[in-house]
Amino acid sequence: MALKEEKVLVIDPDKCTGCHSCEMACSIKHFGKCHSYFSRIRIQEFRDVNTFIPVTCQACEDAPCLKVCPMNARVRLESGAVVTDEDKCIGCRACIYSCPFGAPVINPDNGKTMSCDLCMDDPIGPWCVKACTMQQAIKFVRAQDAARAKGRDMAKLLAEDYMPPKQEEGDFGFSFSV
Amino acid sequence: MKVVIVGNGIAGNEVASYLREHGKDKDIDITILSAEKFPEYDPCSLPYFVGGEVDRNVVFRKSLDHYKKNRINLVLDNKAVSIDSNAKKVTTEKGDVFPYDSLVLAHGGSLFIPPIPGVNLDGVLSCKVLAEADKLARHKGTKAVVIGSGAIGIEAAEALKLKGYQVTIIELLDWIMPTLFCEGAARFLEDEMRGYGIEVYTSEKVLSIQGDGSVESVKTDKRVIPCDTVVIATGVVPGRPLAETAGVACDRGVLVNDQMLTNVDDIYACGDCVQTYDACTGEGCMYQLKHNAIEQARIVARNILGEKAQYRGAYPFARAHYFDTHAVTFGKTMKGAERICTLDQVEVLERSTINGYLRLLLKEGKIIGGQAIGKMADYAGLLMGCMWRGEDLHEFIENWPKIAELDSPYPWQARKLGQLLGLSSLDAKPGKGLERVYAILK
Ligand SMILES: Cc1cc2nc3c(=O)[nH]c(=O)nc-3n(C[C@H](O)[C@H](O)[C@H](O)COP(=O)(O)OP(=O)(O)OC[C@H]3O[C@@H](n4cnc5c(N)ncnc54)[C@H](O)[C@@H]3O)c2cc1C
Ligand code: SF4
Ligand code: SF4
Repeated sequence: MALKEEKVLVIDPDKCTGCHSCEMACSIKHFGKCHSYFSRIRIQEFRDVNTFIPVTCQACEDAPCLKVCPMNARVRLESGAVVTDEDKCIGCRACIYSCPFGAPVINPDNGKTMSCDLCMDDPIGPWCVKACTMQQAIKFVRAQDAARAKGRDMAKLLAEDYMPPKQEEGDFGFSFSV
Repeated sequence: MKVVIVGNGIAGNEVASYLREHGKDKDIDITILSAEKFPEYDPCSLPYFVGGEVDRNVVFRKSLDHYKKNRINLVLDNKAVSIDSNAKKVTTEKGDVFPYDSLVLAHGGSLFIPPIPGVNLDGVLSCKVLAEADKLARHKGTKAVVIGSGAIGIEAAEALKLKGYQVTIIELLDWIMPTLFCEGAARFLEDEMRGYGIEVYTSEKVLSIQGDGSVESVKTDKRVIPCDTVVIATGVVPGRPLAETAGVACDRGVLVNDQMLTNVDDIYACGDCVQTYDACTGEGCMYQLKHNAIEQARIVARNILGEKAQYRGAYPFARAHYFDTHAVTFGKTMKGAERICTLDQVEVLERSTINGYLRLLLKEGKIIGGQAIGKMADYAGLLMGCMWRGEDLHEFIENWPKIAELDSPYPWQARKLGQLLGLSSLDAKPGKGLERVYAILK
């Protein structure tokens, strides 16, 4: 995907306070209602350590979800976003299982999956970004700048790191040892 | 450069598309030979078309127009029957001859038909190829017996149930989806199946299919089941005969090296017909799955384009999904583990919570496989990541108190893993939760 003006969402988990505004914005944008279940971005909550992390589709370059969907319902849009074609999806969840982030979510109305479409049909851009203006935990940046913006977080976790190891390669993505 | 691809399936088309997209500067002449009459369709989606969940047009991945636009010469309904690797020519059943510079074997496998009497009766159907699925979709019956409970059998059973059939599944081995799940998980999935009104008989052998012209019953070693429809879903055998005409070495499937090249110059192979190696364990394997077919095909295309691309190996990953039941499996099951170690080397970590069921198989602290049912399955991708990187879970558990108390949320996947293992919850700061997991580990 080498689109000139391709932009991506970059998340800075350190800034998230767990207010769920992004979820509400997404849910209102796409469904006209206010409920996390209808949001494509979801906050992972780790309340024991007061940690909140917004998780959404990263539109991986070599996206595993595209390869495992039995219905070919996961499709890459011009914008680079990877979304579900509802006419084809059967709600089997293979895309969720294969995703390094478990990013696609189930649309409670029809049991099919959905994921971030970058609000491409709206000139103001992704609503979650607007909703997080105060904290700036979610930013919408040009793809070329993303690697820098992502710094130590998401870039490291992107799907290339997550795929099965090539022989004789040592360092893969994050490690659990401290 | 002339590239001839045998097989118009997932793998063959991926090779063609990749060559077209990435070989723009090269003048590549691409021909696909197809035994069937259709543009590319996805076998994985056939059961959902049969069950009426999607329209027939959804199964197609390409239109005939697409081939034209991309200058891919598609030869339909003309099976390749022999290869002359010295003259570099392929001959088809209609006697046409296609010279090649590079040949790609991407002809998949064919349905394994068990050697039992009655398999040729009317009403004995399958779901492996579109023409058969069409027949099954048109078929008007009321009582079906599905022989074989692999993923395809399970999906076919669901499809027929949705169409109003009374459905019975018969499995020769001890539990359903025997290569995908360990006993505990499979028994649960079996009970779910029964809950949806599908009868399941395991450890049962089909002796014959009976009937006069068309199917009337299926006879097993335990009973006779009256029916008007039989679906054969007993697995897929790789096609070797064509490869063998060229002297291509085969074992269970067509043998390839890490560049997906066979032992014969300029003959590549990919998809369901090849035998490759496991990405994690290195053992020889045949995981006939779509994602492997796609990745192998890309390696073939890159090597044809002159890159020295190396295949990282195949990996098992499958979902089991019917009605409201959702499950996933990856890596080794207990049975599969026997191929790489003795069973006392395998540690089993099992958790059952309100969010579902999780089972991880560990060897020396490292994940070698897992199965999950329900919401817990949603994080299979994270667990597979741990498996591929060889994360040491023993070490992780030991380090948990430190990880849990880091100020920074990085990496959140580590915290999530803690949650999945039951290490992290409001009441279980390191201590309680930890003991719980250790207890299970022992
Ligand atoms: C019902 C069903 C459900 C499945 N579900 C899943 C799933 O959920 N997930 C998953 O990962 N995988 C699934 N699979 C497996 C997946 O479809 C295969 O792994 C994949 O299609 C392999 O691609 P392939 O190109 O190697 O073979 P195929 O897609 O089978 O294509 C091979 C093609 O070659 C043709 N051919 C054969 N011999 C010749 C010849 N001599 N000359 C010319 N053409 C020839 C065949 O007619 C066929 O069209 C499923 C398979 C089936 C049948
Ligand atoms: S694998 Fe996950 S993150 Fe990557 S494109 Fe698919 S849904 Fe998005
Ligand atoms: S849930 Fe839908 S989009 Fe996801 S893999 Fe299944 S069919 Fe494809």
